Amino acid sequence: MSPEQASAQDIAQELSEMPPASAASLQFSVDDYLEVIRGVLDLFANKKEMDTIYVTATISSEAIKRVLDALDIDTSRIYFVDCISHIMMGATSAQLDDHTTLVESPTMLENLMLKVEYLIKRSESKDKLVVIDSMNSLAIHNSNWILSEFLHILVSGLRSMEAYTVVFSVEEHSTPEINNLVSLVCDHVLRASKKEGRDEVH
Amino acid sequence: MPQKSAERDRCATGVEGLDTILYGGIPRSNTILLTGSCGTGKTSLALEFLIHGAMKDENSLYVSVTENSEKLLANVIPYRFFDKSLVKSGRLVFIDLPIMYERLGMTKSELGTEEIDLLVAAISDLAEELGIKRLVVDSITSVCYKLKTSEKIRDFILKLSKALSDLNCTSMLVGEVPASSNAYSTFGVEEAIADGIILMANMERRGDLLRTLQVIKMRGTMHSRAKYVLDLTPMGVLLVPLLKGGSTG
Repeated sequence: MSPEQASAQDIAQELSEMPPASAASLQFSVDDYLEVIRGVLDLFANKKEMDTIYVTATISSEAIKRVLDALDIDTSRIYFVDCISHIMMGATSAQLDDHTTLVESPTMLENLMLKVEYLIKRSESKDKLVVIDSMNSLAIHNSNWILSEFLHILVSGLRSMEAYTVVFSVEEHSTPEINNLVSLVCDHVLRASKKEGRDEVH
Repeated sequence: MPQKSAERDRCATGVEGLDTILYGGIPRSNTILLTGSCGTGKTSLALEFLIHGAMKDENSLYVSVTENSEKLLANVIPYRFFDKSLVKSGRLVFIDLPIMYERLGMTKSELGTEEIDLLVAAISDLAEELGIKRLVVDSITSVCYKLKTSEKIRDFILKLSKALSDLNCTSMLVGEVPASSNAYSTFGVEEAIADGIILMANMERRGDLLRTLQVIKMRGTMHSRAKYVLDLTPMGVLLVPLLKGGSTG
């Protein structure tokens, strides 16, 4: 499937219409990174009242939580699998709460899958969303071969559990190989195009 | 047309990933060796096997050899599905083997042939009396240290597994091997007698230490022989396939 150029509003519309067990690749510019996080989490965790498992390999879960708090977004339904704090020697005891699970390194892809599975099993929410932030960050630490295998097993497993998956890729840091391996397993490939003014994912 | 052989009754371990690997569970009344080095999750897996049995109204017995069972329970992962009433109701029973040794007057450091028979009889009588359908001995290696010779170890495990099998009891014998060892047991006898071998290990990959599980053999069923990575969680033992792209072994 070729990526569709879409405004943030179109993307929000597409994401909200996805049937359960769908997987979407969301490609966007680095300038829109925080806006996309805000939009996706607000849409699924708050508006759709869905437990959201946010796998971060880009910035620490603490930093994302700070952004969400500043934007006044309720994080009570958001659970983080943080693959980056430990390796940056930035894991703090404050992160060891019910909403944050640490993975020692983004190279431990199996452990990442296990933590996601654990949180899904623990969740009592009917619908669940898993966000992978991001493929290009994981690609810094892993070969494309293992990433491709990882994504295939993860997304297939999530489909069998009827969970939604959204895979982030930052355009400036991605490669055609990464885009290809993501599009192989995702049903929808959405590319945010920045138009005049500030687009938002609502 | 040849008649299809009857499917063996399964003892589902309750560990979802393991039951998938075993096409439904351990063939009932088999004795399997759950082996690996320290810190690989053997005790947690064995305990979960018993808890799931007790939850399904199968009386389950944990024979602790090395660790006091009270201490064991205090240190065990706080499983969300574990209900203390299983212990109170007698569905899940813990006994400490050193206490049994004492009661049987087995005070010497080495057990003789008669004492082996006595010990097997004591365990199987207890299992029969309590209607035990799942049993764990943790660890069989510690018992073997009191038997010393290969002949006596073989004799003990054969007699114990026969007695438990006659009671339709599915059992797990927990084995310990040194981290550096490629063997499945310390004495080299246990794996030959057991109906199945589940090997748990620590695997280092590019500086990361992963806990792995692999079913080496399982009589009476087809099974995957692939290596899986596991995590010990409050929801139980979870398993995912080892990603081949990063495998070193």
